[in-house]
Amino acid sequence: MAKRVLSLVINGRLREEAVGDSTLLLDLLREQLGLTGTKRGCDGGECGACTVIVDGKPQLACLTLAARCEGAHVETVEALASGGRMSALQAAFHEKLGTQCGFCTPGMIMAAEALLRENPAPDEATIREALGGNLCRCTGYVKIIEAVQAAAGGAR
Amino acid sequence: MERLPAFELKRPASLAQAIEWLAATPEARAIAGGTDLVPNLRDGIGAPPVLVDLSRVPGFDVLEVRTAGARIGAGVTLARLASDAGVAAALPAVSAAAASIAGPGHRSVATVGGNLCVDTRCVYYNQSEWWRKSNGYCLKHRGDTCHVAPTGTRCHAAYQGDLAPALIACGASVELAGTRGTRTIALEDLYRDDGRAHLALEPGELVVAVVVPAQPRGAVSAYRKARARGAIDFPLAGVAVRLAIGAGGIAAIDVALTGTNSRPFRLAGTDAWVGRAVDDALLAEIGKAVQKQVSPMRTTVTQSNWRRQVASVEAQRLVRELAKASA
Amino acid sequence: MNPEAKRPPPAKSVGVRQPLVDGVEKVTGAARYTADLAPRGALVGAILRSPVAHARIRGVDTSRARAMPGVRAVVTGEDCAIAYGVIPIAQNEYPLARDRVRYCGEPVAAVAADDAATAQAALAAIELDLEPLPAYFDAKSARAEGAVPLHESKPGNLERAVEQTFGDVDGGFAKADLVREHAFHYAEVNHAMMEPNAAVAHWDAERGRLTLHSVTQVPYYVHLALARCLQLDESAIRVVKPFVGGGFGHRTETLNFEIVAGLLARAAGGTVRLELSREETFLTHRGRPETDVRLKIGLTKAGAITAVEAEVVQRGGAYAGYGLVTILYAGALLHAIYRVPASRYHGFRVYSNTPPNGAMRGHGSVDVRHAFETMLDTMAGELGLDPFAVRRANLIDAPHRTINDLQVNSCGLGECLDIVERRSGWSDRRGKLPRGRGLGMACSHYVSGSAKPVHWTGEPHAVINLKLDFDGGITVLTGASDIGQGSSTLISQAVAEVLHLPMSRLTVFANDSVVTPKDNGSYSSRVSFMVGNAAIRAADEMKRVLVAAAARRLEVSPDDIEWDGERCRVVGTDRELGYRDVVTEALRDAGTITVKGTWSTPPETQGGSFRGAAVGTSAGFSYAAEVVEVEVDEDTGMVRVLQVWVAHDCGRAINPLAVEGQVQGSVWMGMGQALCEETQYLDGLHVRANLLDYRMPTIVESPPIDTSIVEAPDPNGPFGAKEAGEGSLSAFLPALTNAIADAIGLRLDELPASPDRVLEAIVARRRAERVRRAAKPAVQEAD
Repeated sequence: MAKRVLSLVINGRLREEAVGDSTLLLDLLREQLGLTGTKRGCDGGECGACTVIVDGKPQLACLTLAARCEGAHVETVEALASGGRMSALQAAFHEKLGTQCGFCTPGMIMAAEALLRENPAPDEATIREALGGNLCRCTGYVKIIEAVQAAAGGAR
Repeated sequence: MERLPAFELKRPASLAQAIEWLAATPEARAIAGGTDLVPNLRDGIGAPPVLVDLSRVPGFDVLEVRTAGARIGAGVTLARLASDAGVAAALPAVSAAAASIAGPGHRSVATVGGNLCVDTRCVYYNQSEWWRKSNGYCLKHRGDTCHVAPTGTRCHAAYQGDLAPALIACGASVELAGTRGTRTIALEDLYRDDGRAHLALEPGELVVAVVVPAQPRGAVSAYRKARARGAIDFPLAGVAVRLAIGAGGIAAIDVALTGTNSRPFRLAGTDAWVGRAVDDALLAEIGKAVQKQVSPMRTTVTQSNWRRQVASVEAQRLVRELAKASA
Repeated sequence: MNPEAKRPPPAKSVGVRQPLVDGVEKVTGAARYTADLAPRGALVGAILRSPVAHARIRGVDTSRARAMPGVRAVVTGEDCAIAYGVIPIAQNEYPLARDRVRYCGEPVAAVAADDAATAQAALAAIELDLEPLPAYFDAKSARAEGAVPLHESKPGNLERAVEQTFGDVDGGFAKADLVREHAFHYAEVNHAMMEPNAAVAHWDAERGRLTLHSVTQVPYYVHLALARCLQLDESAIRVVKPFVGGGFGHRTETLNFEIVAGLLARAAGGTVRLELSREETFLTHRGRPETDVRLKIGLTKAGAITAVEAEVVQRGGAYAGYGLVTILYAGALLHAIYRVPASRYHGFRVYSNTPPNGAMRGHGSVDVRHAFETMLDTMAGELGLDPFAVRRANLIDAPHRTINDLQVNSCGLGECLDIVERRSGWSDRRGKLPRGRGLGMACSHYVSGSAKPVHWTGEPHAVINLKLDFDGGITVLTGASDIGQGSSTLISQAVAEVLHLPMSRLTVFANDSVVTPKDNGSYSSRVSFMVGNAAIRAADEMKRVLVAAAARRLEVSPDDIEWDGERCRVVGTDRELGYRDVVTEALRDAGTITVKGTWSTPPETQGGSFRGAAVGTSAGFSYAAEVVEVEVDEDTGMVRVLQVWVAHDCGRAINPLAVEGQVQGSVWMGMGQALCEETQYLDGLHVRANLLDYRMPTIVESPPIDTSIVEAPDPNGPFGAKEAGEGSLSAFLPALTNAIADAIGLRLDELPASPDRVLEAIVARRRAERVRRAAKPAVQEAD
């Protein structure tokens, strides 16, 4: 497969990577850059586990062609902690048990992060709407909502 | 892990270039948000040698809502369409339809043009290569039998886009551009009732923009989709209604449907209801007309009769609710 | 600095809302799951699956695939002639089909190649020569006369028939004031955990050793199956369970891809990563079977159960798996929730040409519980009793031995009932809601681990090792598989509680067979109860060693030491010793200290002596009561769950935060089965093997779940605790359908209550009413 050199900013760091035209952003992140926090949970766009933030918007890395991210700012779950400390949202997911098995968690957190940046004080219906594309099999979503509410309320 | 067949991604900077590249390679596909195309490619449905990326085509992202009407570029994302206050005020059905599609991670990139041109769907088609091969393929792709209606000669895959009925009900047209220039057609004429070839686009032709005329005075519109879950799902049936009530009863009524046929379509015979009051008798007639004109087949895991019933119910409800709102 | 400020927080750990000890890794993306582990350059594995549901294999031609550049290994059924299966007496599955394929999607061959594209091309180059056989997709056709047996030794495709009678059943029905019998049908459902299946296998050719990382809940069983199928000495195998993205029973037995990964790695002489697609993960199945239940219950006027008779038919799929356990559970767990004086059970586990079924959360009990609680509801109505009253009329007073020899030592169901009745406003609201809105209730229960293990080795049921070293840190070594339920956290809490040490002194190291003690795995809700008990005993032992050291250093008797973790003192004096000094003393001469704690179920909980008596036995039963409020749209059949109230008796909530999470997850998973989840096959092809059509609920329509914890301590439980992760699942289903009945007076005989099924039932009822109305005058004339 022909490759092109792609330059983009991933988690604040300028990267130049050789990628094939049909390489998915998910595979660039996971296979090439070792950013395995972003998960593959389905066969394409059904579960939200691979949600990342591209230029400020939530996006599914499993449906995104890496080559189309030229010049983009891509953020994954690995970007949220600073100096090794969890972000307020991550801390809320941890402390409120918004994560059980943890597999949907990175995507869930990135979807919530995108929401909170746009709307720092969402009501419950807005939270549900914003996380509507992210499936979780463990929690029944109850504590996920509590976690996002806690983060929005500045629990930390 | 390579999950997609190899292709060349071309990123044209002009509409002319996009059309040229699309026309140059008959198997080439246009890609906008990619939320419909990429899952299909992952399933091994098609292996286009070239993808033409429309994201850099100038003017594709125009979104103008004026009193004279609206112009919505094919590249406008569903998220933008759903959150635009002007659209919500002038075309609430369109706004609601956009907001109801898939999830936020899709809507942030999926486009108006992409949603209008979304591929038809079927339980025998939206499966992996292994699955379809094990089943002997189907009429829509690589096979010669429609497993939904094996004795027939056509493909019954259902059109399940949400925007089209809302826009059709609001009287929208689409601007198309191709090797032979541009043309504008009524949105409903973009579609054919054939699951295998449901778009009346010529090779290399693209949807450039949707043009919505000024809405009739007093007209209100709404969209409702029936689905099993509160998010992600395609419509099992979707109904859009635009209604204007005048002194003498209904002044104008438009109903459009999706999810039940191989194309979105405008309900025929609605003119007969102009001048009528919205009462139980009229609603029953509307319900019957919908039941008669939809033709859901076994293309989803949900029973087709339910899709018929619910299309009818939701049409009646929307008319009642809109009549109440405009009273 | 004031030394007081450096004092660790109080050590009391049990009953504390403790975030997961591995939670930071999960929220930061640092947690490594199996698919995250493959080293660069690992070969890519891929599996060729059968395109037909039932066929004789005449040939598998791999010559073209083997000749392709970049293909490093090709394996087929020829490479493993030894059948495996989780139940030692029912092993009839091969990692790659031999002689016959029995379901669409069954693995037939596998390749390891340099990259995914080459692997896929190699699969496409393998030619299968299959001679089709008649295939059976439901239990009825599989059992029909003349049906071709899937397995030669099982005529009639009957994997297991169970006939059990306890007490005087006929007499019980004769004594009843009301006897009713009804039939129900349940669709098959799947675990659909978020992490797709994956394994990474490394073959060390020089030493002849295999290392496998996998998504399993049962690394020990995987270890055994690898040794068996690859004909390796068990000590030549290392199994590691990294972070696992859920399981819910899917991973409670060795799965074909795990052995295939091992076969490929050995054949290729290297490292193979085998990542299954979501579709392939669905095809590996092991979910709850399609089930038919015919249930008969006798009640007195006061609502007391006099007798129960049940017939259960399960379409079990193509291989045995846990099948015989599932069909036995369905009968056994008719008991141990209410007093049942007499029962008869007929169970039939049937082979079919569908992916094999297995254990799924609430294993064996869920569908039967729905039938039971539905009939209690309807019969209560006929008797003019409140649904709560009929449950209360049958409560178990622990200790209680059921007629099928299950030992109930604690039961908080009565309190669960009181709580959900009160919190839901049941008595004020029930019957007063507008049409279309309804309240329903139901109860359920589950085991805290099977009192008799699947593999009888004579070893203790659970073992924990603790290692104390120079740094004062204690490493908790466990084989218990944390798959998100929080077992590592719970084990830490148990150890911290006994030692009065802060959790920060502890590190859990789990699931690496060369380091950690064997554990049977995470299934049947055994871990909290069994491993929790072992952890307490290990910590007791460590405390004994430390107290002895302190006594030595302070030159007193151990009995005179008042132990308080970070410090200890001589009773009645102010002579103190800090923890680090105690550790130094303890390690003097001895060096690094390793202690062990073990636990086994008491014999009296291990059940009776009849055939199949082991299944359903447990050292402790959990209980739950639920109320569900629904809104039913009679024009569309859409059912919306507005609110759930649940109370769960977990004996003692060692970690209330995790108990709530487990209960909420159980209730919600029950909702998925009740409302919208089902598998479906077209000529044996799974049409819903994706997350669009396998419709697990999204956050948008998922209801608030008001969660209460009831603590009826169990004398055998660790700190009195019982299970929390399964027992409240089953109650949801009948509570929902009872609520639908309350809302619109309609009883569904079939689940899930998908909108098309509900609407069909509504339409059928309307039609029946019209017919009845039209027929009425004629009937009167005939009179």
